[in-house]
Amino acid sequence: MSDLVVQDAGPLTTIQDLGRPGHLRVGIPASGPMDREAFLLANRLIGNPDTAAGLEFTLIGARVEFTDERLIAITGADMTPTLNGTPAPAWQGLRVRPGDVLRLGPARRGVRGYLAIAGGIQTPRVLGSRATYVRGRLGGLEGRALRKGDQLPLGPVGEARPHRLHPDRVPSYEAEPELAVVLGPQDDRFTPLGIAALFEGPYEMLPQSDRMGARLKGPFIEHTHGHDIISDGVPLGGIQVIGEGQPIVLLADRQSTGGYTKIGTICSFHIGRIAQVKPGGRVRFRRVTVAEAHAMLRQSLQTLDAAIE
Amino acid sequence: MTIWSEPRFLPCGDRALSVELGDEITRDINARILALEYLLQQKRVPGVGETVPSYRALLVYYDPLVVGHDELTATLRGLLTEARPEVLPPVRTVELPCCYGGELGFELEAAAAKLGLAPEETARLHAEADYYVYFVGFTPGLPYMTGMPERLTIPRLTNPRLKTPPGSVSIGGVQCCIYSVESPGGFWVLGRTPVRLYDPTAPDPILLRAGDHVRFRPIDRAEYDAIAADVDAGRYTPRIAGPVATTS
Repeated sequence: MSDLVVQDAGPLTTIQDLGRPGHLRVGIPASGPMDREAFLLANRLIGNPDTAAGLEFTLIGARVEFTDERLIAITGADMTPTLNGTPAPAWQGLRVRPGDVLRLGPARRGVRGYLAIAGGIQTPRVLGSRATYVRGRLGGLEGRALRKGDQLPLGPVGEARPHRLHPDRVPSYEAEPELAVVLGPQDDRFTPLGIAALFEGPYEMLPQSDRMGARLKGPFIEHTHGHDIISDGVPLGGIQVIGEGQPIVLLADRQSTGGYTKIGTICSFHIGRIAQVKPGGRVRFRRVTVAEAHAMLRQSLQTLDAAIE
Repeated sequence: MTIWSEPRFLPCGDRALSVELGDEITRDINARILALEYLLQQKRVPGVGETVPSYRALLVYYDPLVVGHDELTATLRGLLTEARPEVLPPVRTVELPCCYGGELGFELEAAAAKLGLAPEETARLHAEADYYVYFVGFTPGLPYMTGMPERLTIPRLTNPRLKTPPGSVSIGGVQCCIYSVESPGGFWVLGRTPVRLYDPTAPDPILLRAGDHVRFRPIDRAEYDAIAADVDAGRYTPRIAGPVATTS
């Protein structure tokens, strides 16, 4: 039997795959990786299908032991990986052997780290997905974050060779990222000054942020008249502004609906960037039209497809 | 009430848009939203992903590599001309046993005092009404309902609770909701149902759907405990009446 043995789990390590879209209409979020690009690349570096389940680490990594020979890949936040105590490279496929121990430490840059394992983690699918939704106790392993001693079943491995990420494509997670935002759906509930403040920025990531939403602090965003609306659907990346005029960006495990004004929406291809900003780090917003956003999306998908050597 | 003369199509980033029909909580607007969602599902419009209905809007996720924003807007505009309540499948009525007052309905007495009613009268009025589920959301399986007699209209709590037990049947404004998971809450808790609105271990974890009707059946504490034990043992099936005669 091939298992991944969790020797030490870290503060919030969960099983994720591309998520379970289709259930927001009954209040269940899709979940899935916070930084989808880094997750996809981890799978692609070892020839896994995009849909294979792997691990997401948050701020601090974990220690895991392998029980057979297979490929793995580490991407996302820089958690100074070591394999049997020796520094191991991220952003490329690596071969591990029975008894090998991988250790990921505190994130030096970025927040979310990813581990893909050839064959994928094969915990049961719930509503079509292995992604963990901790608040809803759904998916993953018993709907919870991983703990010391957990053993995760792995799928069979095929013939695959390790790939590398093009060196120019390794993200630094250092800069103050600029995030593309389309105004709406309730931009008409904000004053011109309020909208200008959003794009002036910058906004600082607060430590209360989690997989549900990123709480930010920065220039006051002024409403025309109050922050309450008749509840409506909350899109991924929606920027909700409540009483204090401060934004909350709704992310993978967000509530499906909400009763607060949303000034704009961060574009899908930049969600991963905000997921990698540490508490105390800053972001800026840039206004784009829907047409510009679609052109940028095409570009980002092409870049992603060409990222692996 | 305000129903827009023309539907509004509001961008929600690069992968979603919101169709908004008004800014009031009315059955009429909501039925059109549910009908639009139903038609979108039935016609399997290419590029359309998941949809999220709410009181007066439908959030539509789409794949811009398959369908453009303007093309999708035109399609939705066309479907809206057919989006009438008559297209919806027959409604269901779900019966939920509810134990009013006591430690499970820990705000019944306070709510009754606020309303100038006796607690028994408050519970009776609440249990007699026919509730309509506008949509399900916020947390998994939580129904947003109206249907209460006007006499029970009550301002929300000034200091929301940090934790509300799942199953709590509660009221605020003209609305009634049932908390589906432990969560903060600003509604007055009148009682609790032992039935699970959200059960992550069930093949279909969600009990209620948008468009359902809900009736509460008052039960005492002993029956609550008996049903709760059956629910825990997987022996309890909620009573769901099939399609009713009218689809109002």
